[in-house]
Amino acid sequence: MSQAGPHPDGQQMSGRDELRQRIEARIRRLERVSLAGLWSMVLFLIISFGAYENFSFFPEISEDFRRMLGAPPPSEMISLALVIYAFSGIVGTLARMSRNIKPFRGLMHTAFFAAFYAFYFLSGVLPDNFWAVFFAGLSVMGLENYYLWAHSNEALQKEREMLARLRGDGE
Amino acid sequence: MFSSINSRAIVPVACAVTGFVIACCVLLYTFVKSDLITGEIHHAADLADTVIKSTRYAMLHDDRETLSQIIHNIGDQKQVEHVRIFNKKGLIMFSRDNSEVDNFIDKTAAGCNECHAESKPKRKLGAMEQARQFTNNDGHDVLAITAPIYNEPECSNAACHFHDAGQSLLGTLDIGVSQAPLKKTLTQLKGRMIMFSGMVLVLTVGAVCALLYRQVFLPIKQLVDFTERAPDDSLNSDFPEVSGEVAKLANAFQKMTARVKELEERHPQSKEAPSKDPLP
Repeated sequence: MSQAGPHPDGQQMSGRDELRQRIEARIRRLERVSLAGLWSMVLFLIISFGAYENFSFFPEISEDFRRMLGAPPPSEMISLALVIYAFSGIVGTLARMSRNIKPFRGLMHTAFFAAFYAFYFLSGVLPDNFWAVFFAGLSVMGLENYYLWAHSNEALQKEREMLARLRGDGE
Repeated sequence: MFSSINSRAIVPVACAVTGFVIACCVLLYTFVKSDLITGEIHHAADLADTVIKSTRYAMLHDDRETLSQIIHNIGDQKQVEHVRIFNKKGLIMFSRDNSEVDNFIDKTAAGCNECHAESKPKRKLGAMEQARQFTNNDGHDVLAITAPIYNEPECSNAACHFHDAGQSLLGTLDIGVSQAPLKKTLTQLKGRMIMFSGMVLVLTVGAVCALLYRQVFLPIKQLVDFTERAPDDSLNSDFPEVSGEVAKLANAFQKMTARVKELEERHPQSKEAPSKDPLP
């Protein structure tokens, strides 16, 4: 800890300052991470808004394109997959919470729920199933983002305490 | 909001359970609705088949008066919104509504365009494709079935009229039944499901809250009260009524406090002049 490296400005920097800078950098990174889940949630809400409008702002899909895509899966199969995905998503997050494993940060859930909207849309039953996907997405992503936020906040609090102690010692 | 252990434990679980139960209820409602509509379509298709079979004898004998009477009687039933028979060209020959007779049917209207979407109309349709749902001019929700009346050897061989054997389709029966009973059933089902989901949610979240409070939060609160007591109070009195891990923790704290007290009594100078730096 007492090691002192050369500063870019050429000044000699104390180990304490270097440590403080490292902690501050970690705090900034954790603050960014705690907000990362919010962006995936915002993206999900934007896609949900489009789905609520039955993607009417997109041009109508041509018959040739539909033929190229092939027959859509039966809506019962999509619904079954949605229930399984939502259930396993919630159980997975709860398991990670109980074992204190690092939370998931990517946009995977958003992509999966967008795919469910797309499948229902192509099957022509999106208006009937919109609320199911919306509430499933809200519960899975809400829980995941809550865990991400709580996990980051906990680490943030530790870093801030360390920084405060470091500043206290320096005075 | 999430500063206390209560809210941190209960709110995420309550939100996840609520969202999942609502999603499952919406899907269940969609499944039941789809099954009920399919059943209704099959029922209407059976009704159309019954009408065709009932009118067959009158058709073979070119008994237009009887045929018209049958159509009127069927149309007078409470659930039947419309019933009509039109020929291959789309000219309405018989209808409950007399003003429709001798008028051409709109081939681009909902239900007709299933067969007439392409230049060559489809010859055969399944029960689901024969059905269409729409709101009629009276504002009633209608489920209509168009059942084709195909040419049969008895028709082309009959002496009474002129259908040749090469003509595959003689006409179409169009019958519409009211969807009011189905809508009423679906509304009742929706209400009952909302009530049931609400009860499940209240019970689940309530049970989780009650168990957490009884098993975790209350013992922790008692332990916190016990540890925050004035240092001069006797530690043996008011020992929290807890068991398990929390009791072990309370015991450990009690032993630690007793040991600190003993050390303080043995070295009174350390109590009077505490170290400036509490950190090791």
